[in-house]
Amino acid sequence: MRWWFSKPSDVHPNETSFTVGTNGDGSFQETVGKSLILARLQDLIAWGRKNSMWPFHFGLSCCFVEMATSFTSKYDISRFGAEVVRGTPREADVMIIAGTVFIKMAPVIRRLHDQMLEPRWVISMGSCANSGGMYDIYSVVQGVDKFLPVDLYVPGCPPRPDAFMQGLTLLRESVGKERRPLCWWAGPQGVIKGEKPSQRDLHREERIKTTLLRTPDQV
Amino acid sequence: MTAKASAIKNILQKHFTDAVRGEQETRDGIPTFWVEPGRVKEVLRYLKWDENLQYRMLYDLTAIDERTRKHKPELSTGGFTVVYHLLSFERNEDIRIKTALEETNPSLPSITDLWINANWYEREVWDMFGITFDNHPHLERILMPRTWQGRPLRKDYPARGTEIGPFELSAEKQEREQEALQFNPEEWGMARQSEDSEFMFLNLGPQHPGTHGILRIMIQLEGEEIIDAIPEIGFHHRGAEKMGERQTWHSYIPYTDRVDYLGGVMNNFPYVMAVEQLAGIEIPDRVKVIRIMMSELFRIASHLVWYGTFAQDIGQLSPVFYMFSDRERIFNIVEAVCGARMHPNWFRIGGIAQDLPKGWDQLIREFITMFPTKLDEYDKLVMQNTIFQQRTKGIGAYDTEEAIEWGVTGPGLRATGFEWDFRKKRPYSGFEQFEFDVPIAHEGDCYARAEVRIEEMRQSLRIIEQCLNHMPAGPYKSDHPLTTPPLKNHTMKDIETLINHFVHVSWGPVIPEGEGFVGIEATKGNNGYYLISDGGAQSYRTRIRAPSFAHIQMVPDISRGHMISDLLAILGSVDFVLADVDR
Amino acid sequence: MEQSNIEWSFVVYGAAVTGLVSAIMLLSYLLGESRQSAEKHEPYESGVETTGMARMRFSSQFYLIAILFVIFDLEAVFLFSWSVAVREAGWTGFAVAGVFILILTAALMYEWGSGALHIFNQRKGRTKQFLAKQRTSQKE
Repeated sequence: MRWWFSKPSDVHPNETSFTVGTNGDGSFQETVGKSLILARLQDLIAWGRKNSMWPFHFGLSCCFVEMATSFTSKYDISRFGAEVVRGTPREADVMIIAGTVFIKMAPVIRRLHDQMLEPRWVISMGSCANSGGMYDIYSVVQGVDKFLPVDLYVPGCPPRPDAFMQGLTLLRESVGKERRPLCWWAGPQGVIKGEKPSQRDLHREERIKTTLLRTPDQV
Repeated sequence: MTAKASAIKNILQKHFTDAVRGEQETRDGIPTFWVEPGRVKEVLRYLKWDENLQYRMLYDLTAIDERTRKHKPELSTGGFTVVYHLLSFERNEDIRIKTALEETNPSLPSITDLWINANWYEREVWDMFGITFDNHPHLERILMPRTWQGRPLRKDYPARGTEIGPFELSAEKQEREQEALQFNPEEWGMARQSEDSEFMFLNLGPQHPGTHGILRIMIQLEGEEIIDAIPEIGFHHRGAEKMGERQTWHSYIPYTDRVDYLGGVMNNFPYVMAVEQLAGIEIPDRVKVIRIMMSELFRIASHLVWYGTFAQDIGQLSPVFYMFSDRERIFNIVEAVCGARMHPNWFRIGGIAQDLPKGWDQLIREFITMFPTKLDEYDKLVMQNTIFQQRTKGIGAYDTEEAIEWGVTGPGLRATGFEWDFRKKRPYSGFEQFEFDVPIAHEGDCYARAEVRIEEMRQSLRIIEQCLNHMPAGPYKSDHPLTTPPLKNHTMKDIETLINHFVHVSWGPVIPEGEGFVGIEATKGNNGYYLISDGGAQSYRTRIRAPSFAHIQMVPDISRGHMISDLLAILGSVDFVLADVDR
Repeated sequence: MEQSNIEWSFVVYGAAVTGLVSAIMLLSYLLGESRQSAEKHEPYESGVETTGMARMRFSSQFYLIAILFVIFDLEAVFLFSWSVAVREAGWTGFAVAGVFILILTAALMYEWGSGALHIFNQRKGRTKQFLAKQRTSQKE
């Protein structure tokens, strides 16, 4: 096996939205924060966006079935405003790459992603989309981030619907912290993304309390 | 040589004196004959149409790259072998015809004028091995993209994606690929217009809610009526067959799970049975019953997904929620027993991963008491709905003869009135001791297929109840030395068992040299694994005969003359899974 | 005086509609991000490129259905105008309208019976022909 590293900027030449900073970065915060009203307005709009993230009806493989299960009543993704599944990319906000990314399918995925309108996000769901998973084979792209910018990775093979929903809630939080330009003719045009705290640090205390694991020979 | 094999060999040698070069012994007892490449078409025609033989179905057509095989069969040339597997329903028998081809420029006459379903199988062999079929109507790549270079299943082709180099999708490459994907009607012999109107060419493209996966169908439409349709597959090709040559016999089991991703352990079933056949492992009764119970649970789960999505395609948006809730109850059981929801990879060579947990019978009993009333409710909700009936009755109808010609098995065949279930006709894993009926319907249209599947769910419940009431006690693994991983009770006490255990889970079991095939009645149809062992820790060739490959090939023929909305009903009723089609 | 009141309310209504629509369109043009890329202007066809044009010649069967619609639509117009004056027209008017409807219903029955509304064709599967051809060649 040969391994290689690549920078996001090398692999996404078509990506048109760009991050110019994160909240807490002095200079941009000043520019935008000068007007309190505008900042509050941006936060309000971000709150609206976060509560109505419409997924794109795009499923590749087995993970799609678990994603579809999360749309059904037991897991009910509509609590998060995300049950409006759109068949066309122009109406969708978030593209969930659920399943293995095939080389034959890569140009199609790229085209569909390009046809989505900003603001748009990408969730990479499942091991195959994250990194090729257990399919280190000639016809599979080793991870969708080789040609698409990914906002969130959900591990699992397939991830449980609960895991997928946790991923979606994390993405929502991150979307709620974003500051996007209000108009195209004035103001800075970049996207200011929020900080991403380490999930490991956040959950460590709770996880470390687990000492007894259930044995599998009992229901 | 068995009695029937020698009888067939005599018949063949009488009619084709020098064509049949010899017979090969295989572990599955299927008569296997080697035939001269120039005469193979005559032999196949004779086998298909002779009144005494009647091998009417072309079950599988595949190839083997014999170049690096240590224990080559005596009659092969050391180049490529093309395998034709035929099935006779009249006599409930199989036959395998092999021809040996040279390494350089291997080619054979095409049999698309003998069997209408040979088209895609030959294209797959051309794509994967580079064997040309003369006079094939449209010999083009089917699983790999058109711009692909190389023949993936050849032994000199790299298996790993990481060996090929980093994947880049530059703007120029994107344009090139999209151009290759664009549909060109002239290539397929389609006219652009008729006398009074122009045809519209619509892509029911890779991304479409109605195709249940990444399938592309290019439809030639006159108004809304379908004149012709060309499915394009290969968007879901995960190289499961090549993966088998790289993984050990044991570590391949998770890959089988993902072939029919709704089937769960039903996919492990034919694979572990085929390995056990090669290794000569006899499994205990408890294992047989547990395997049947879990497979039937997954059959119900898979049919529930089909049911909900089919109703959704027709326009009923609520039933899918009910069906998926029931599926969650099944997954509770599966998770408690196997440890994972969709892909448990729980069967092992020689048994199952671990014994049933305490309290399993309570879970199963709750499910089988609750589920029949649900099925009755869904019947009223879906099957008796007049709109549903109007959209499915008379749509996509075919009869038994057409089904056999296209290689259709499973509910699609039973809906034409032909009572054929591999669990009854070729019982495996103890099915002969179970009491259940085989549901059939007669019209062969979408509604009939729906009826058959729903009744199958009820029969599966009956089987599960019998498993619950008569679960034999006993070990959950065989004590044959090739069981992987072996029973652990002696491992900590004596060194040979420990060594055995260690070698099996690290290096993998070394299955003795031979060939074997097992086909079962899986959720979608007949799923078979044809395994060739070269006496190593890895399979030499893993051929997966998937039911949905044959079913999708049939879709254009049954949808000509219908509307687009009927095409979606047909696709829903065929019940395919793309990972099953492309593997 | 009544006439000019009606005109004024139409004018105000028209102005309000125009104003509201223009305001909405202007705001949606001015606000929000704008990012361009070549793919965004391509038509969406499930991720691949389209084949052929969407503007094409259709079979005259569709024209026939459209003409039939127009005829029945005009019938509806006549019936609307009759319904406005139904009291003044009285029973005679009712009888005349009845005859009118009856004639058009007869026309509809004729069309239905003669199959002008039927645009489905027979299924043209090819498997049966394929098998029949093989059988005949077997007998030879």
